[in-house]
Amino acid sequence: MDKILLGRYIKGNSLIHQLDPRLKIFLSFYFIGIIFLCNNWQTYGLLAALTLVCVWLTHVGIGFFVKGLRPLLWLILFTVVVQILFSTGGEVLWQLGFIKITDVGLKDAVFIFCRFVLIIFMSTLLTLTTTPLEIADGLESLMMPLKKLHVPVYEIALMLSIALRFIPLLMDETTKIMNAQRSRGLNFAEGNLLQKAKSVIPLLIPLFISSFNRAEELAYAMEARGYQGGEGRTKYRVQIWQGKDTVALILFGVITLALIWLRS
Amino acid sequence: MVMSIDFERLSYTYQADSPLAFQALHEITFTIPEHSYTAIIGHTGSGKSTLLQQLNGLLKPTTGSVTINGQTITAETKNKELKELRQEVGFVFQFPEAQLFEETVLKDIAFAPQNFGKTEEEALEIARQKARLVNLPEEVWEKSPFELSGGQMRRVAIAGILAMEPKILVLDEPSAGLDPKGRLEMMELFESLHQEQGLTIVLVTHQMNDVVNYANQVIVLEKGTVIKEGTPDDIFSQPDWLKEHHLGLPDTLTFAYRLAKKGIPFSEGMPYDEASLAHYLGELIVKRGANNG
Repeated sequence: MDKILLGRYIKGNSLIHQLDPRLKIFLSFYFIGIIFLCNNWQTYGLLAALTLVCVWLTHVGIGFFVKGLRPLLWLILFTVVVQILFSTGGEVLWQLGFIKITDVGLKDAVFIFCRFVLIIFMSTLLTLTTTPLEIADGLESLMMPLKKLHVPVYEIALMLSIALRFIPLLMDETTKIMNAQRSRGLNFAEGNLLQKAKSVIPLLIPLFISSFNRAEELAYAMEARGYQGGEGRTKYRVQIWQGKDTVALILFGVITLALIWLRS
Repeated sequence: MVMSIDFERLSYTYQADSPLAFQALHEITFTIPEHSYTAIIGHTGSGKSTLLQQLNGLLKPTTGSVTINGQTITAETKNKELKELRQEVGFVFQFPEAQLFEETVLKDIAFAPQNFGKTEEEALEIARQKARLVNLPEEVWEKSPFELSGGQMRRVAIAGILAMEPKILVLDEPSAGLDPKGRLEMMELFESLHQEQGLTIVLVTHQMNDVVNYANQVIVLEKGTVIKEGTPDDIFSQPDWLKEHHLGLPDTLTFAYRLAKKGIPFSEGMPYDEASLAHYLGELIVKRGANNG
C-alpha cells in the first residue's frame, strides 16, 4: 500500500517546490512531448542532464525517484527486451533463428529505457514537490479554457481534490480493517484463488460502507456551511506566477530549440 | 505453560530502512501477568496502538521480542506461526463496528470461529451464546448488522471477538463514542469477563475513571518508552507527576483536591478511588460530629 507514489509529497522549500504548480504540471506534460524529439546520444544526454539537475534542485534524495520506477519495472524491462530482440537494421551482432541482435536494436533499447526513466523521474518530481491539493488547483486553472466547451471544470476539480484528500484516509481504513479481520483469523494470503477472492469480501464491504457514510457526512457538512462551487468562489490558496516561473519556461523553450538543432 | 505477556527490550520502527523511518517504540520491557487487568495510558502518538499490535503479531518487533503464552515473537517469526496466537488473543479495535460485514448478526459473530476451524453449526451455536453474553436482544440476531444502532453494532463486533474464546482480551478504547450508560455497561461486561472467566485484559484508554475503577496494573507510555509502571495506587498517589506529564486525574481525585482547597485535611494522602474517598469522608464526618457533640 505504501508503495503507491501518488500524493507522496515530500515537504521542502527548494526552488522546485516553490515553482507554480500550473507551470510544473504543464512542463511535466511538455517534457513528455519534447522527449520524442530525441533520437541520438546528444539529445538524450541533454534531457538526462536537465532531469538530473532538476532532481538535484529538489533536495529530495534520489532514492525516492528510483522507487518511483518500481511499479513500472516490468513494463520497462518488457519493452527493452522486445526492442533488443525485434529491431531490424544495422550490423548483426548475434543471431539465433529469426532472432537477431543488432547494434541499432541495442541502441534503441537504451534510448527506450532512458525515455521511460526520464519521463518517470519528471512526473515523480511533480508529485514529490507539489501537494495533491496544489496539483488539483493547478489542473483546475489549466482546464479553465475548457469551460467554454461546457466541460464542468469546477466539479471535476472538486471531485479530484476530494478524491486526493481521501486516498490516505481510505488507505488507513483499509489497514485498520485488514488488521481487524486478521485478528479474527482471516488470512488474506492463504488458499487457492477462490478462497483468496472470498477473503476480500470481509475487507471490501466494510470499506464500501464507511466510504458511503463518509461521503454522506461530507456532503451534509459542505451543505451546512453553504458550499457553492463555480463562478465567483474565491480560493484560499492563490497560485501566483513569479519571475522564476518565467525563467523556467524560457529555459524549457531554449532546450527545445537545442533539441531541434542537435537531433539528427 | 506460562500465560503471561513479556516484552523484552522491544523496539519497533515503521518503514525501517527508508527515509521515512520512524521509531515508535524504544526498548520496551515489562510484564503483564496472567489474569491481570492492565491499563496502558499515554498521549496520542505515545505508541499505544503500535504496542497493542505487537500482542497478536499484527506488527512484529524490529528488535527485541515479546513472549505471549509461551510463544516468542521476534522479527524472524513467520506469519504462519501466528494463527494459534491470534486465536488466544482477542483484539477489540477502536470503533470495532467498522469490521462488520456479514448478512446477519449471528453470521458475523460466527465468522471468527469458522476461521479457526469450527463447523458452521458449532460456530452459530457459539454465536448465539456470545450474543446472549453481550445482551443482544434475540429479535436482532437475524437482522443485518447495519440496521442496528451504534451501540448494538459495537456489541455485535465485541461478541464476534469473544466468539474466538480468547484467553487474553486486548481493548483499544472500547467505550469511545458510547453514551454514559452504554459505556458503563461495556466496562462492566469486560469486568465480569475478567472476574468470572479469568481473562487477562489489556486496556488502552484515556478514561482515568476506568483505570482507577477496573485496572490492577498501569503502564504509562510517553514517546515510545515506558515512563512508569505500577499499581493504580503507585500512579495516582503522585498527582504532581501526572500533571507534569499532562495526564488527567480521575474524577474522585479532582474532587478530593477541591475539598482540600476548602480546608478538608487529607493527612494520609489523597484517596484516588470512590470507595476510599467515601470511607475517608464518612469517618471525618463522624469524627467532627463527635468533637462538636
